[in-house]
Amino acid sequence: MIAALEKFRSPTDVETFSRAMHSKAKPDSKLVRVCIGTGCAARGSRRLYELFTEAAGRSGLDIQVEAKCVGCHGFCERGPIVVVDPGGIFYQRVEESDVAEIFRETVLAGKVIERLLYEDSQTTQKASKAEEIPFYTAQKRIVLENNGRIDPTKIQDYITHGGYAALAKVLSSMIPEDVIMEVEIAGLRGRGGGGFPTARKWRSCRQAKGRPKYIVCNGDEGDPGAFMDRSIMEGNPHSVIEGMLIGAYAIGSKHGYIYVRNEYPLAVENLKAAIVQARELGLLGKRILGSSLSFDIDINRGGGAFVCGESTALMASLEGRPGIPRAKYIHTVESGLRGKPTNLNNVETWANIPAIINHGGKWFAGIGTDNSKGTKVFSLVGSVKNTGLVEVPMGITLRRIIDEIGGGVPDGKRFKAVQTGGPSGGCIPAKHLDTRVDFDELTKLGSMMGSGGMIVMDESTCMVRVAKYFTDFLHKESCGKCTPCREGLSQMLCILDRITSGEGRVGDVERLEELADLLEETALCALGQTAANPVLSTIRYFRNEYDAHIQDRHCPAKECRGLFRYEIDAEACKACGICMKNCPVEAITGEKKVPHVIDQDKCTLCGTCRDKCPFDAVMKV
Amino acid sequence: MPTVTIDGHKVRIKKGRTVLDAAKKAGIWIPTLCYHASVSCEATCRLCMVELDRGGWRQLITSCNYPVREDIVVYVSSERAEKARRGVMELLLARAPESPELAALAARMSVDGTRYPTVTTGERNCILCGLCVRVCEERIGQEAIGFAGRGEERSVVPPFRQASEDCIACGACAVVCPMGTINVRLHEDEGEIEISPFKSRAKLIVCEKCGTPIFSAKVNEKATSKVSTDCKVFMELPPLCPKCRRSATAARLASIPICKNE
Repeated sequence: MIAALEKFRSPTDVETFSRAMHSKAKPDSKLVRVCIGTGCAARGSRRLYELFTEAAGRSGLDIQVEAKCVGCHGFCERGPIVVVDPGGIFYQRVEESDVAEIFRETVLAGKVIERLLYEDSQTTQKASKAEEIPFYTAQKRIVLENNGRIDPTKIQDYITHGGYAALAKVLSSMIPEDVIMEVEIAGLRGRGGGGFPTARKWRSCRQAKGRPKYIVCNGDEGDPGAFMDRSIMEGNPHSVIEGMLIGAYAIGSKHGYIYVRNEYPLAVENLKAAIVQARELGLLGKRILGSSLSFDIDINRGGGAFVCGESTALMASLEGRPGIPRAKYIHTVESGLRGKPTNLNNVETWANIPAIINHGGKWFAGIGTDNSKGTKVFSLVGSVKNTGLVEVPMGITLRRIIDEIGGGVPDGKRFKAVQTGGPSGGCIPAKHLDTRVDFDELTKLGSMMGSGGMIVMDESTCMVRVAKYFTDFLHKESCGKCTPCREGLSQMLCILDRITSGEGRVGDVERLEELADLLEETALCALGQTAANPVLSTIRYFRNEYDAHIQDRHCPAKECRGLFRYEIDAEACKACGICMKNCPVEAITGEKKVPHVIDQDKCTLCGTCRDKCPFDAVMKV
Repeated sequence: MPTVTIDGHKVRIKKGRTVLDAAKKAGIWIPTLCYHASVSCEATCRLCMVELDRGGWRQLITSCNYPVREDIVVYVSSERAEKARRGVMELLLARAPESPELAALAARMSVDGTRYPTVTTGERNCILCGLCVRVCEERIGQEAIGFAGRGEERSVVPPFRQASEDCIACGACAVVCPMGTINVRLHEDEGEIEISPFKSRAKLIVCEKCGTPIFSAKVNEKATSKVSTDCKVFMELPPLCPKCRRSATAARLASIPICKNE
């Protein structure tokens, strides 16, 4: 532990402190970094940390040995992750029983334990460092650079790794307009989904009349299967705070809010601690680093409504009213929170700011495509070998993300579609896998960047059901204020229900398209306006599946109950009788050495025979 | 003053007023449900959609709350705007198929029926426009009703869905309700007034002379509490209906001898 720190009184204090920390570090010191992100923590990584700390305390050696909690590495599929320095030896799926061995062999003796290394499933090659694992090689980490390196609960660690240097630079050598200019040169666009140019938003808010001005960080990440913002808030909370401080200076704000989902307890805990530490060091509060900037941040916990991620609903919620959107004919930069100019950006947007200031807008603009600069964090989930959090440069193809980083679809199944942009995004089919990922390209395909959810689906996924799932989600999360969203989504869900239960009618697809168009045209907020994207994109690329459900009463992916049947493959059947014994309705007949047969009239499609057959002879057809 | 061009008609309107205000000035009708001049705009029903021309880039907006800040061109009768309004009306008709008020409005919009089945249910005919909630909060200052639930389950209810103590049974909600969902019911035998469907009741003041119901006792309390002058005189007056009070006053005046100026 480091003794109580003195308040920083000038921008140079930050650098002095960082230098002092570096010079204190012993060259032969050993470090065990244990990931305590929610994913790894769920698999018991906190206990691993305790064990390593005990071991380090017992070692009684001359050399400095330290165990450290770090934020998410992104490779959640392989957690808990433990990295040993020097060397960055990357161990995955570490268990309690491995601790003693790691400490003895790697920490003390410097040997690598082959068993705990990542092994590529295709090449069977082992990787001893993160940089050697394909999951990491195609990534470019700016926002997540320090995730997995620093202890999110210690501000000293953040500063040692270059933290708050951007703030010091801004306060010592830039005027607010310079800061906005730098962000403009960087070409940063909002990472929450809208992709609105950040600099333009900042400038509008700076120029807006009215005082006070508020700054808000949107951490109400509600997309199913998405955890980009969570990992940043948990793993590197100070990067968000530093970004907000720089924004506050540029915009002229004295007060900021971070709106976090209550379902993210660790993020709340780490942010709270970070704010307290920043205050202690004089990085939040009055006359920050001796400058004229005064700024402080409060945390507000969201109650779990998806719609509260919408800016006006979020602000209503911040004000203590129900989180319900309002019309945005008057922008929130003019009249937002409490009717005052308010600048809202997403967690990832804020976390990009320090890097842009440190390395310059030009550097940032050098990464990515013409209209989408920098990197984007995606949570890669679904039917993909390496699920986890990935940060890639804009412009990378979907194929590289899924095949190279994600390792492709497991179990030899065929890729079918990737859903991007959260529930309001769309499904992109295989033929568009070479599309370059950026704001505009994804929109052209009927999907969107969104906040970074990426769900991979294989051939066993029914696309009509996917559309139904997301429509159902949005239907449940719709606030119900405006007619098209409330009534339209109910109507759409009713039609999708009908189709997936084999009662679809001719004309249903056209009716869905009509409702989708109405929603896009007339709904009050972005939730309603984009709610039909999953339906529209699946109709666009998988119309044949809708037709099969409606016309042939058949689900091509064999997922919709009642729209496929079970049959026994006569060649594969060994006539063992297990299916016959287990069938609850006695629908299977057969004798010894004679392949069994399912009586389709009696079959209730429960699937027990398929589950029980030891020879995989029961097929869905 | 900016100029609004609506379907080719030009009207000048004060900055900050809405497109709907401009349309009214131009004598052009736009259907509305959740709009009422006496309360704030929430644009929930989406029935007043019109097309805004932003120099080639066209966008649908709700006319009731779109503020006019510069010269703009809007189309009420463009195909796109009409299609949107028709679509919204069809959804509303599906929700409240039995409402004669809605049917009349639909007929005026030349929408004959809906192609959608009724899939959402709520209070009979209520389309959740929220006028009742706003009038109670903004005009009466009682906040006796509010929204509960989300999405399909959204409904207008008193707190905890129980008869509210705060309701003064003034009936303002019933006055603004465009669907006839809210009604004032008199229970003369019990001497009470009820606001349906909110179940709240208040004592009814009846004319001392003819027995005609006047208003709720709570309205009387609230009204007199707002009068800053010494209203003792009023308080002491017997409760009379307007008609009886007129005749009583006339009788009193008639009894005063007329003094002629010499």
